[in-house]
Amino acid sequence: MTSSQYDIIFQKVVVLLQEHAPQQVPIQEDTELINDLGFDSLRVMEMLQDVEDVFDISYPLNTLSDLRTVKDFVLQIQKIGGNG
Amino acid sequence: MGLLDKLNAIAETRKNLLPPGVDPFNVVIDEIYSSTEASIGGRRVILAGTNNYLGLTFDQQCIEAARETLLSEGTGTTGSRMANGTFTGHRELEKELALFYGCNNAIVFSTGFVSNLGVIATLASPSDVIVLDADSHASIYDACRMSGAEMIRFRHNNVDDLEKKLKRLGSRTANTLIIVEGIYSMLGDCAPLAEIAALKRRYGAWLLVDEAHSMGVMGDRGRGMAEAAGVEQDVDFIVGTFSKSLGAIGGYCVSIHPELDLVRYLSRSYVFTASPSPSTIASVRQALRVIQSKPQLRTKLWDNANLLYQGLKKLGYELGPDISPIVAIRVPTREKTLFAWKELLDRGVYVNLVFPPAAPAGMSLLRCSISAAHTPEQVACILQIFADIKPLIAES
Repeated sequence: MTSSQYDIIFQKVVVLLQEHAPQQVPIQEDTELINDLGFDSLRVMEMLQDVEDVFDISYPLNTLSDLRTVKDFVLQIQKIGGNG
Repeated sequence: MGLLDKLNAIAETRKNLLPPGVDPFNVVIDEIYSSTEASIGGRRVILAGTNNYLGLTFDQQCIEAARETLLSEGTGTTGSRMANGTFTGHRELEKELALFYGCNNAIVFSTGFVSNLGVIATLASPSDVIVLDADSHASIYDACRMSGAEMIRFRHNNVDDLEKKLKRLGSRTANTLIIVEGIYSMLGDCAPLAEIAALKRRYGAWLLVDEAHSMGVMGDRGRGMAEAAGVEQDVDFIVGTFSKSLGAIGGYCVSIHPELDLVRYLSRSYVFTASPSPSTIASVRQALRVIQSKPQLRTKLWDNANLLYQGLKKLGYELGPDISPIVAIRVPTREKTLFAWKELLDRGVYVNLVFPPAAPAGMSLLRCSISAAHTPEQVACILQIFADIKPLIAES
């Protein structure tokens, strides 16, 4: 997958995060989902459902513990999408 | 950060949320009088939150069976099922459960929670996929994590979302276990099991149903939601508990697959924990006989469930979507929910208080569970107290 595809995913993810994040702060690649955006487990799950719909993927819960930043999240979506 | 620092957040939440001397999550029952009445905080209350659906905790035959076995076999097995903890009663109960469900295979575990851990974490491995309902019980989530399988959630009771998830898996559905519950423990809503079973067939997946809250409650013979939906032949594994309709403690799994018997050799929660006490097993065996011989208990249970649900609805409370023995009342805020819970207790009704994340979708709930043992007068009393506190909740 190319960097432009990464950018497209990033833009869509930013929109989704803004919809669900309890704390409204400017979202960059290194923004942290929990520390900066204030996500708790319930909000993460709600946001994931929308992510699955938007990108037409199934997001395995097992990989959630590896997520820290928005970039981690985008890369994971890219990887799952690439796997079909 | 020190080891115990993470607990400070809990201490802070508890301090901010709970008035001094009130802790709904550490209620002590001073004295229990029957399956529907007890003393809490020095006050006699009606129990409307105990999952004691058939009221069998005080069934005289169950008590007598337990008493006799207590005297003849002692207080405990002091060992795991795999070592010295399998008595004749454990084996007989497995045979009786298998017979009850019309299949050949059953395993008895020490609790319902560890039944899910033992079965799911043994059946699924890292090369497999588990597709589970979003509102699944904590024991199911923990079991899925322990299995190492790829975990995918579908929206609660949403058959379209489940199908989407199965379709994306392609040929991997042959190694995919779908997990749902018969009746969901918090909102009391029922799984659309006929549709889920049809998807299971269409995509060639496997299906496990947790019937913890539906065994003894649903189906002509009390076998649960799979029986009620007419899809027992499609359900590969049923997990259940002895701690609700059967009035004791323990758990089980039954299956149409003879390979279930091998699970006991690999299941860590079977091998490495003590087995249920002989007296508990004796009371469960008797309770299973009662479920089969007294279908009128289910009729009574559903009459009471209807009475409570319709009564609360008429009072204007916001309830779960389905009528069932679990009646969940949604209250707008945590503070109002706590206020209502305390008012109910002070006026003589015990219900469960549920905050997120135990309750789904960020809800705060007053969770009632009704029993066949509640009298019409007790149900009327519960409803009257709910009527009395309704304006107070709004003002609080």
